Amino acid sequence: MVFLTLSCLVRSRGPDRHWKVQELLKHARHFRGRKNRCYSLAVRAVRRAFVYATKGRILKKRNMRTLWISRIAAATREHNMKYPALIHNLGKTSVQVNRRILSELAITEPRTFLSLAKLAQARREEGFRAALGDGQEPAGVFSRVMVTH
Amino acid sequence: MALTLMCGCVELLANISRLRPDPRRISSFKQTGILFPSFERHRSSHSISGPSSLVPLTSLSSPPWPEVKSISSEEEQRQHTAVVQKVNSLITNEEYGRLFAVIHFASRQWKVTNEDLILIENHVAAGCGDRIRMEKVLMVGGENFTLIGRPIIGKELVRVEATVIEKTESSPKVYMQFWKRHRFQRKKIIASPQTILRINSIEMVPQLT
Repeated sequence: MVFLTLSCLVRSRGPDRHWKVQELLKHARHFRGRKNRCYSLAVRAVRRAFVYATKGRILKKRNMRTLWISRIAAATREHNMKYPALIHNLGKTSVQVNRRILSELAITEPRTFLSLAKLAQARREEGFRAALGDGQEPAGVFSRVMVTH
Repeated sequence: MALTLMCGCVELLANISRLRPDPRRISSFKQTGILFPSFERHRSSHSISGPSSLVPLTSLSSPPWPEVKSISSEEEQRQHTAVVQKVNSLITNEEYGRLFAVIHFASRQWKVTNEDLILIENHVAAGCGDRIRMEKVLMVGGENFTLIGRPIIGKELVRVEATVIEKTESSPKVYMQFWKRHRFQRKKIIASPQTILRINSIEMVPQLT
């Protein structure tokens, strides 16, 4: 059996519109209803689909990031921390592992994730200690509590 | 956690003597009870229990963070040497199972292990069959330890090698913009270059300090 479709498609030019129509219907064959065989309906549906695909490629990146963040947040709460505390303190300790890898670690390497959480917790407490100083009130400052009691 | 918080509050209150309730004020309350028995009865019948101390709840009297403990620098140094010694011995005896590494390559991070295939959506300067070394290693982990780079681990500690296997193009993707009622539409067919790498080995040297 001889298949001539491809060679005819390659050679086609000029007034025969058949090949142009086939080129577009190729993308619409899996659509529902008359869109998959009537050119005038298919052309709009295919254009719509291409625009959706273009926008979807951008949206996918955004959606994946929110998914990673919610996964990290869930894993962090297992270790009695919150997501912002973890991310902020990992940044402070200059651990530059991104959110995709962090969420993967939380799923496949829970002990590694626990050590990261502990690291962030240690950095957090260090920050608290630095902010609190030696626990004494600064000299010459009168707070409301001291005045009323 | 809550227990430590409570203990912290109690300690803080004990430390700050000025925050203790004034004994004179308590005696004046007792006198009120003698002078106005009905008021005293009302209080007792409704069992209004006043606060245990008269210090208001502020950030000074009960700080919102848990009590933080600090360890001395000698103790910290001792723990550090113990951990380093342990991990070095694990690496020397190769008791780490299958290693994984987090590498930074082609502006992305990849969690890889031996014999992994990774697909990079870009050109790589090395040719097919070339063996390359991944130098930005962010993290290496074994069975019982993980080395976390801040931000990357030194080149003398870890060696991650890969081979370029294939250089191709992705399947064509349609980039289309359309603005209805404005006679505006753009269509472009995009195919981005792709490279496939095989991770050959992750090796470690027991040189932790």
